Amino acid sequence: MNFTILDWAIVSGYLVVSLAVGLLGKKYIGNVTHYLVAGRELGTYIGIATLAATEIGTITFMYNAELGYKYGFSAFAAALISGFVMIIIGRTGLVISRLRQLKLMTVPEFFEVKYSRGLRLVTGVLVALGGILNMGVFLKIEGEFLTIVSGINAKYLIAVMTVILVLELLYTVLGGMVAVVITDFIQYVLLSVATILVSVYAVHHAGWANIIHKVSVTMGAPGFNPIANPKFGVTFIVWQILLWFSIHTCWQTTAMRMFSTKSPETSKRVMTWTGFIFLGRGMLPMLWGIAALTLFGVGALEKGVPLPVVNGVTLAPIDAMPAMLASMLGPGVKGIVIAGMLAATMSVNSSYLLGWSAVISQDVILPTRQVMGKPPLSTRGQIWVNRLANLFVGLFLMFWGLYYTPPGAIYLYLNITGTIFLAGAFVCVVGGLYWKRVNTTGGYLAMLMGAAGAIIPFFFLHWSENVTGFAAFGLAATGLVVGSLIGSPTPTNKQDPSSLVSATRTP
Amino acid sequence: MRYWLWFWTVSLVIAGTSFAAITVVVTLRGFADLREMLKRLLQQKDRES
Repeated sequence: MNFTILDWAIVSGYLVVSLAVGLLGKKYIGNVTHYLVAGRELGTYIGIATLAATEIGTITFMYNAELGYKYGFSAFAAALISGFVMIIIGRTGLVISRLRQLKLMTVPEFFEVKYSRGLRLVTGVLVALGGILNMGVFLKIEGEFLTIVSGINAKYLIAVMTVILVLELLYTVLGGMVAVVITDFIQYVLLSVATILVSVYAVHHAGWANIIHKVSVTMGAPGFNPIANPKFGVTFIVWQILLWFSIHTCWQTTAMRMFSTKSPETSKRVMTWTGFIFLGRGMLPMLWGIAALTLFGVGALEKGVPLPVVNGVTLAPIDAMPAMLASMLGPGVKGIVIAGMLAATMSVNSSYLLGWSAVISQDVILPTRQVMGKPPLSTRGQIWVNRLANLFVGLFLMFWGLYYTPPGAIYLYLNITGTIFLAGAFVCVVGGLYWKRVNTTGGYLAMLMGAAGAIIPFFFLHWSENVTGFAAFGLAATGLVVGSLIGSPTPTNKQDPSSLVSATRTP
Repeated sequence: MRYWLWFWTVSLVIAGTSFAAITVVVTLRGFADLREMLKRLLQQKDRES
């Protein structure tokens, strides 16, 4: 066991405070808008805190550290792209500003406003499928991290995962977005302090000159130059730019923050400043991974990179960073860092639970009821459907997380599962907002061809992630253009974005 | 390689500095934002009930 009583006290204190504060959120819930988008009352600073906390988790630290360990400084390209694209979207208001004007609660809701209820249903199913598969690996990776750093016996991994999930579910189910935002604020502060602490410790222990030397000796130029690195190259960079434009505009958990802001202008400010945080969100954990390579990369070569060896035991590259934290952090600091990592874990998981369950309830269950001719649900009924969807997603995650191990780097698995719906959704949203000729036939083709372009090449043909990504976005765009040109023209009342604003019914 | 190392070092410094600076600003000003949000949510809820 690597934990002292002081460390346990810090971590337990954080958990109790976080849970208590989260449960407070329930008293602010009066209707579905409060439950899903916090009454659209997010200001700039709390907006930045909740968006950053939502997209920075232990899973983020783990996959970015893994990229740093395997590909050296070249991995920084992915972080740089994610941050810069976010800043560009924030400055221009591309997509997010118009979506915020429409007063939506979920991304698929746009598909009913612009296209048809049937396409909203199809999109809802794809978004929920891709999102839940994406989140499916979180718990296992997070459990691994916590057991390695704290030194808890690995046989308790399932118990650790269950406790994390139950705590998150408790406040998310009851308090919805309000509880998530309140806890996100505390979690953002803690995870940021932990991130800065670990970065200072990692560079201090490994030594900057040693880090550069290790990457030079192990990888040569491809360790610094992403274009020369066979895993990256120009195709990777172009795919990443496309992917991050779609993530920052159409990823349900990010979009929900934009929908929750006070105004389109606030959403732009939140996006811009969080873009700067995203630079550090990627680069700092990648640096930890490179530091772990420097300290522990002495094992047998795997694809040209030495495996980490800690206390005579050979580990997987993804486990090198937590093993480094376990060995270099002293009592007290370790407790703060673990509390920070737990905060990161809980903020991401609670937001994702809410995001995907919102799609299941609002875009799959409620439209299906309407199609079946059933009367609309009361406000109370809708909140309960959301809570039950939350529980369902939580249970699914437990089982998927236990039995599925993704092939290759986690970062790339997450990219591909996201692409299942992102390719089609991004193309349809951009087309729907900026191209008058777009129609429902094009929308259906884009969603289905985008999903097929992600699932078939990756899971069945075993193509590389870059090529799969291009196939998905290319097919989705082709589907939208061809379908829109051969299908019936869009009704005039759905052509102009300003008319869409008055067509939305959500308060 | 030397150019890339220089580029990544500068990028890392910018990323780390902005991460820390924004953390400080958001920590100091986010609490007031949060209180304002909760106050307005209660007002919304009262108006509806």
